[in-house]
Amino acid sequence: MNKILAIAFKDNFVRFSSPGEWLFFLVLPVIFSVVIGLATGAQTDSRIALLVVDQDGGELARDLIDVLQDSKTVAVREYLLSEAEEKFRERQAPAMLVIPAGLAEAQAGGEEVELQFTEAAGNVDAVAARQAVQAALGSLGRALQAAGVSLTAAAEIRPFADQAARDAFFQDGKDKAAALFADQPERILVTGPAQKAEEDFWRPNTQASAGTIVTWVFIPLLAISEFFALERQLGTLRRMLSAPVSKAVYLLGTITGQLGTALLQMLILAGFGTLLLGVSWWHDLAATLTIFLAFGLASVAFGTMLGTFVKTQGQASGLSLALGMSMALLGGCWYPLELFPEFVQKAVLVLPTTWAMMGMNDIVLRGQGLAAVLPEAGALLGFAVVFFTVGVLRFRYE
Amino acid sequence: MKALQIAFKDLTVLFRDRTALLLMLGAPLILTVGLALISGRMSGSSGPAFQNLPVVIVNLDQGVVGGQLADAFSSDELDDLLNPQTAEDAAAARALVNDDKVVAAVIIPAGFTDAVTGAKESGAADRIEIYANPNREISSQIVTAVVESFVQQVELARVSGQVAVEQLLAAGLINPQEAAAVGMRVAERSVSAQNSGAAIRLVSAEKSTEPEQDFDMMGYFAPSMAILFLMYTVALGGRNLLAEKETGTLGRLVSAPISETAILGGKLLGIFLVATAQMSILILANALLFGVKFGDPLGVAVLILALAAAASGWGILVAAIARTPGQVSTIGMALMLTFGVLGGSFIPINNMPAWFNLVSKITPNAWGIEGFIALGYGDTLPQLAGTVAGLFGMAAVLFIVSVTLLRRKNLMQG
Repeated sequence: MNKILAIAFKDNFVRFSSPGEWLFFLVLPVIFSVVIGLATGAQTDSRIALLVVDQDGGELARDLIDVLQDSKTVAVREYLLSEAEEKFRERQAPAMLVIPAGLAEAQAGGEEVELQFTEAAGNVDAVAARQAVQAALGSLGRALQAAGVSLTAAAEIRPFADQAARDAFFQDGKDKAAALFADQPERILVTGPAQKAEEDFWRPNTQASAGTIVTWVFIPLLAISEFFALERQLGTLRRMLSAPVSKAVYLLGTITGQLGTALLQMLILAGFGTLLLGVSWWHDLAATLTIFLAFGLASVAFGTMLGTFVKTQGQASGLSLALGMSMALLGGCWYPLELFPEFVQKAVLVLPTTWAMMGMNDIVLRGQGLAAVLPEAGALLGFAVVFFTVGVLRFRYE
Repeated sequence: MKALQIAFKDLTVLFRDRTALLLMLGAPLILTVGLALISGRMSGSSGPAFQNLPVVIVNLDQGVVGGQLADAFSSDELDDLLNPQTAEDAAAARALVNDDKVVAAVIIPAGFTDAVTGAKESGAADRIEIYANPNREISSQIVTAVVESFVQQVELARVSGQVAVEQLLAAGLINPQEAAAVGMRVAERSVSAQNSGAAIRLVSAEKSTEPEQDFDMMGYFAPSMAILFLMYTVALGGRNLLAEKETGTLGRLVSAPISETAILGGKLLGIFLVATAQMSILILANALLFGVKFGDPLGVAVLILALAAAASGWGILVAAIARTPGQVSTIGMALMLTFGVLGGSFIPINNMPAWFNLVSKITPNAWGIEGFIALGYGDTLPQLAGTVAGLFGMAAVLFIVSVTLLRRKNLMQG
């Protein structure tokens, strides 16, 4: 046991004697978390900018802008037409809405009104902005529509005496409808398998926090292959042959050291996830520790196996980064897996990063506990057994 | 001429290094393939493939409204989008979500029709429950939007009927016995009026900067990954420079009939040539493999040169600051990842605070991605002048500082 701990201590001492190592261990992952926090956090208005030109200036136009301002999708930026066109040309916003003069009169006269919506071609944000405007129009138009249908029904029974009577009836209907819509009961309840409060449930930060941990812990753990390559290159592994240390003890020592450090790193990053991104990692400590441990073991085993395939430190370094980043992307660490085609979602089940993300998402997205993460933890331990077996069988001192 | 020979020699040596090629060309292409899968490029669509989303419906309502909602999920309009199935009870439906078999369960409660039509008082238990799969956040939001749209129609019908009945009764146009039938008729009419189009119509026009050109999402993803690994390449160039000092090969060159300036110039030119070659190969590969439209070829070529120059400046600066080749590798890798985060290679930064966008301008990534996006939108070289000038300006400053530091370092003395 002492030998294992001594090797573990030595490896970490060597590793962290380089200031650069702290960059990968802590600094870069924290920068990554901060950037994600800025991109998705509440302190930033991440809504899509929508340029709005109000040429009407009437009450109806104002109502529409107010509805848009309450939108979760678009952030209204009001300008004169020339300013808005200039900003659209400069791509400061992907879409522009022009409310023409005479909107209220045309609407009251029963005429169809056209609002001009200009969007950047092929821009996804512009499509989302258009949908938001259509939803706002739908919401605003509902009271008008209800009043209009009532007006038609009344006119069919007995025509109005004059335009003033017609306008008054329409206005009364609109007010009644608006009041009823304002008081309409909640008809939909969105729930899910989370045990947490509903406001914590749909946060993109949760995916980001888990993705950051998997990415930044996985890549350094693959870099354990560099240790083996370097020690082989320097001949220090060969010298081990003369020491009273078996292959198993040597490997266990190296793995224990890196695994311990990785666990510490995961706990620190989860702490930052909680502080910076508001993600709850701690409602079931046993679940979090289990998935961290299983992921750490699978990753360190993969690094060990990789170390037996590479010849030089440069190869190990390159492969660790290339494989680590690719497996992180395909495992759903950067973008949710649901964005990938279905065959890819199935194919990536061969990657430990996918199972780690599934397990961590069970905890932070679903709010689940130990029982829920056991299948993912089991799969990760399975990976660990396979990778270790291959690694130990292929391991050579020279 | 001798400097050029040294540069080409370095270029040849690096492109023979299989490990270097893996990171210079292999890794960015693999990552781009992953991103192409997200963009829908590999499945032939123009965006993420949200099709045939599996959803389970539990209709516990005995009335007409619940049935209409259940039918709406099987309508022709939603045929491509949703793949609905039904379940007898809520627990079974929730289990399907928990097992990640469906994106959401839509549970219509018993008595929903009565609650909507006012036959009974509406309470919390009368809400449609959408039990969403948190692993399919976007997909379950689509399902929620479908239900919201249906509920909006139902509410319009309810309010229209109620308003008409109240107004017609108040005006003495109908008597209370007729109220229910009139309310129903008006409700139906309001729904068909809504379906025939809103009174306020949105006329949509697509427009980009002239000339008209659709933006290709891969026009963001592909250069983002290429520039990310460009930073690796220039750091590798810097590392090789110090490695040659350490092994004494630079010192040996001094004894040859070549001036120190030509040697240093050749080495720095070599880094720039490798960076240019890497970016050119990656951009060409992305155009050929994924059909990415990068826009004006002249603009792309000049942008690649400007990017290679600015990135090389950073690579040389790292070599000038670091003491050993190992340090260059570590700092270079850190720089690559930091610039990737700050410059928008990992996450688009257009929605970041203004100060963040200002900071991002120290990275070639931010300028480069901005340039490629502008080209993708149809901009040409003249409109790219600011971006290109920014990158060459960065290159000039970094080059002057680096060469000054390298000269102080006595690089040629092994």
